[in-house]
Amino acid sequence: MVVSEGEMRALIGQAFPGGTYRIEPWENFLLTEATGADRLPEGLAHPIHLFHVPIAGVGVGIADLFALAQAPSDASVTIDYYDWEFFEPLRESLRYAMRGGVRDHERTPHADGTIVDSLTYCIEVLAESDRLVARATFRWHFWRFAE
Amino acid sequence: MTVKVGDRIPDWTLDRVTPERMRTVAAIFRDPNPVHWDREFSQRVGLAGRVVNQSPLNLGYVVNALLAWSGPESLRRLRVEFPAPVLDGDRVTAGGVVKAIRSQRGRVLAECEVWLDRDDGQRAVQGIAVVELPG
Repeated sequence: MVVSEGEMRALIGQAFPGGTYRIEPWENFLLTEATGADRLPEGLAHPIHLFHVPIAGVGVGIADLFALAQAPSDASVTIDYYDWEFFEPLRESLRYAMRGGVRDHERTPHADGTIVDSLTYCIEVLAESDRLVARATFRWHFWRFAE
Repeated sequence: MTVKVGDRIPDWTLDRVTPERMRTVAAIFRDPNPVHWDREFSQRVGLAGRVVNQSPLNLGYVVNALLAWSGPESLRRLRVEFPAPVLDGDRVTAGGVVKAIRSQRGRVLAECEVWLDRDDGQRAVQGIAVVELPG
């Protein structure tokens, strides 16, 4: 599938719908357990929540991000980096608001005809009164192999 | 807690990465990528039927090492890349070393090089972390 560079660059600046997310205690329990750690004290949520909470909270899903980039398949997506900033710890049972979108795009052609589109996303996690709690910036590669 | 440049973050080891935990995480993340939960798919794409641990889960092990060392509310920043995958059955060890210490608005921050290594020596996560040290 040929996706033009113009189509991809048009995504820069696109904002996600926005919304809210509450980390449920059961979710924190299961996700913390999955990391092999003991539950954190006093309702603290494991920082790993900063992967999926911003995405879900901003009103999209991982599958939506794959579709937005016209990923050839689910397995054609790899991760370049995560940059997670915490201005406060995340907590369970609090409702956070999210805002964010696509921040950047870069296309890298390879000699064998493969094209890699790299999209950078940035989503902010806000508590009441728009207080910035955390920011997730991450870049995913979308591999388009030559046919 | 006295921390100085060059101090090592104590290693945090997970003896065996399991597909059961990956399935739990895939469900919570609503992650459609079958490399994390479908062994037949994994076989077809050349991974010998071993499913691939989610990158955020790999990062979670690094977080566990950091929080065990500097406290459950200490994490301020993580910027990491993922040079190699972790597969089910792998044994992994997270660690780090303090590279710099600075003060910022009355807080003492430690900048650390962090990593996650597989038992075969392959580095699966590498990057930097900033933690706030207890006053």
